[in-house]
Amino acid sequence: MNRVHNTKFVLWLIAGFAAAVVLNRFIFGLGVTTNLNDRTPWGLWIGFDVMGGVALASGGFVITAIFYIMKREQFYPLVKPAVLTAFLGYLAVISGLLVDLGLPWNIWHMIIYWNPHSPLFEVGWCVMLYTSVLLLEFSPVPLEKFSRYAKVRNFLMKFRFVFVLLGIMLSTLHQSSLGTLFLIMPFKLYPLWYSNILPIQFFISAIALGLMVVALESLVSHWLYKRKPETNLVAKLCRIAAWVLTLYFVVKITDIIAEDKFSLIFNGAWQSNLFIIEVLISTIIPAVLFAVPKFYNNVKVQWTGSSLVIIGMVLNRIDVGGLVMLGVTGDSYTPAWTEIVISLGIVSIAALVFLFVIENFHVWETQPIEPESIPHKLPLFDYSSRTWLGTPDVSSVTTHSLAFVISFAVGMALMPGKHLHSKGIDNIKVSPASGIDTLYINGNRDNQFVKFPHQAHISRIGKDSCFTCHHLNMPGEKLSQCWECHTSMYTSVDFFKHNSHISNKNANLKCDDCHKSGENRSALTAKKCTSCHPTYNFFTYGKNTIQKYKILSYTDAMHNLCVSCHILESRKLKDKPNLALCSTCHKTQLPDYLSAAVSWKIKVPHFNSVILPGVDLKKKIIKSVLKSQ
Amino acid sequence: MESLLDFARGPLFRLCFTIMILGLARILSLDVWAIYKAYRKAGDKRMPWKLILSRAWEWFFPVKRISRNFQMYSVISILFHAGLIIVPLFLLAHIQLWKGSVGISWIALPYGWTFSLTIATIVLAVSLFIGRLVIKQARLLSRKQDYLWLLLLLLPFATGFICSNLNISPQSYQFFMLIHVLSGELIFILIPFSKIAHCVLAPLSQVVCAVAWKFPPKTDDDICTTLNKKGAPI
Repeated sequence: MNRVHNTKFVLWLIAGFAAAVVLNRFIFGLGVTTNLNDRTPWGLWIGFDVMGGVALASGGFVITAIFYIMKREQFYPLVKPAVLTAFLGYLAVISGLLVDLGLPWNIWHMIIYWNPHSPLFEVGWCVMLYTSVLLLEFSPVPLEKFSRYAKVRNFLMKFRFVFVLLGIMLSTLHQSSLGTLFLIMPFKLYPLWYSNILPIQFFISAIALGLMVVALESLVSHWLYKRKPETNLVAKLCRIAAWVLTLYFVVKITDIIAEDKFSLIFNGAWQSNLFIIEVLISTIIPAVLFAVPKFYNNVKVQWTGSSLVIIGMVLNRIDVGGLVMLGVTGDSYTPAWTEIVISLGIVSIAALVFLFVIENFHVWETQPIEPESIPHKLPLFDYSSRTWLGTPDVSSVTTHSLAFVISFAVGMALMPGKHLHSKGIDNIKVSPASGIDTLYINGNRDNQFVKFPHQAHISRIGKDSCFTCHHLNMPGEKLSQCWECHTSMYTSVDFFKHNSHISNKNANLKCDDCHKSGENRSALTAKKCTSCHPTYNFFTYGKNTIQKYKILSYTDAMHNLCVSCHILESRKLKDKPNLALCSTCHKTQLPDYLSAAVSWKIKVPHFNSVILPGVDLKKKIIKSVLKSQ
Repeated sequence: MESLLDFARGPLFRLCFTIMILGLARILSLDVWAIYKAYRKAGDKRMPWKLILSRAWEWFFPVKRISRNFQMYSVISILFHAGLIIVPLFLLAHIQLWKGSVGISWIALPYGWTFSLTIATIVLAVSLFIGRLVIKQARLLSRKQDYLWLLLLLLPFATGFICSNLNISPQSYQFFMLIHVLSGELIFILIPFSKIAHCVLAPLSQVVCAVAWKFPPKTDDDICTTLNKKGAPI
């Protein structure tokens, strides 16, 4: 059974790699693991894992409807695998969603705090209910193995028809409601995909996709375990799919023509080309293939056709779920490698569980036999532990767990190391203040300026007060500016550069020049900085003292210096009671010569609302800036 | 050199450390699982648990065994193990690295302790190496890897001692530090796949010995078939 063994090996490799990335995602957050931002909050995880996952799980309700309601008995061999696929598909959707949510531990809020106006509320409830129903629908299969649960199993079997009906109902609701979700964003979705009957399109395509998923799953698993493929059954599925795909195509094209969007298809925009490719792959080519009897009875054509439908329909969900919104939001987004790895990892774990259930429970009429568990096969020793006690099937467990361990470690090594120190705040580099004598401070480049009249301060505090602000200078400089040392906007940075002290380009010091011999070499036991740099004038504020070798963040340094002095002065000067208020400094209007230089740099602010077509926010802002001059 | 050192301390360290931790967990769980499977199938399910526990305890702190033979060798071996575990775990420099990167820290040994323990461990390792070469019985039992392991374990200790105590130029400091880090990482990778795995498997060894002789009922036929000796006189 080399084929199964090797496939599982690859799946375990991917799963281990993804597990390491998931660990990093939950420790260090979304910023480390995605390219998503406020403008494009839904990326690959929503498009592929959630939308595509739900669509791929549609095999369950399609086959149960055909078998239980339309009474097509010949499809019996496909029912249990289809329900299992649907169940695992929904579990995969849920785990993908948990990775994608910013605060996944709040997921239970939806159960208690109801918001019936939200489409996501409906989607969430459908997922929860349908997953529970699928669990009840499938659990008789594993329970069969344990005689002590016979009563539970009998109970479940008695009400099986209820669960099946509930499952079909909920699934119908959910498949279409994912389409409903996008009805609320008419201005974000490209017109070729947006339609008033989006829910109906989603539902019809889910039926076709469900049929093809069941077909492909049967083909793949029979190939894996080297069994005779169920060609006749799959051919029947393909014939039904041809009809459904034709219906889908007719509905889609009719809608586009009725809405007068037909000319958009051939206008050459990338969205239009994507639309043509998607419809070709997902609908036209497979429908034509499955219309010819010579073709749909051929195993190879069954493989190609069903894969094409699956790829095309998942592409459709990815398009609607975010890809074709990029043209409207003007953002550029390519999934980070970590996003792709996590998506693949979820799929491969689901596949591993599927294989495990197939091998251990009565899903197929005849369970696959694991040749490794033949008792008279000579055991292979486990070279790592030098022990051998179990049956030979342990050998696959040892190799698979080794694959998991190694790929997990590689995943850990590949995660960006600098983020491992991240405390959750971005290191924004400070930009120097602009202006000649009167400085305009704009450290984080958000164009909210603070005015600092330099000469006025000197005349107020006195000419010998340079050191009040310029407390420390770069080597070789007399009056360094604030941003030269306080380089980070919100985080404190290391003051002491160990590398430049030991490097032969700079100080070239030996260990004992600073550290006493016979003691631990650490910051605490080193010489004081002032013993070599006697002119250094260190500030000590709160916890960030120089003993900890930290430079305050730019914001903290500015606020500590300015605010403390302003508070003292406001008490002294009776005529200026507002001197220490935030708005005293943070209200600066730019002078004309600066605003002209700055205005072209102003970016469109991050928007959360829908932009109406025809309104260009960027131009509007620049116009208003120009007018004010 | 600096970028190489950064690479060895960053991604390479994460790789090797993860392999060690997960690899040890993997081996331990595989062994426990195998023991469970063998026990479940066993025909005779009586296990001398008290004896197993007392034996395991005896080997864990082999004080009782010291008086038998090769007293010096046993004492040196015990002390060597103690130094091997205590020094890297409780060295202040290592703890500060953990504190700086992950944010966890624990009690450190004072400087004098680690200084003398490091020297002691190096001396003990050298004397164990000589012992393996000189004592006839030990030489007969030794494989190549037993000598190599002693030398490999010596490497990070020696370079670590040089880096933290001698007054050397920055360039040679970085060179020795690189060797220190790389040799430590090589040890990390090798631990789960070599005899050093006994650091987690040692408590199980007595159970394995006891379970290994518990065959399932009527196994004799299966064994003969497996060995291709059906019908042959035993």
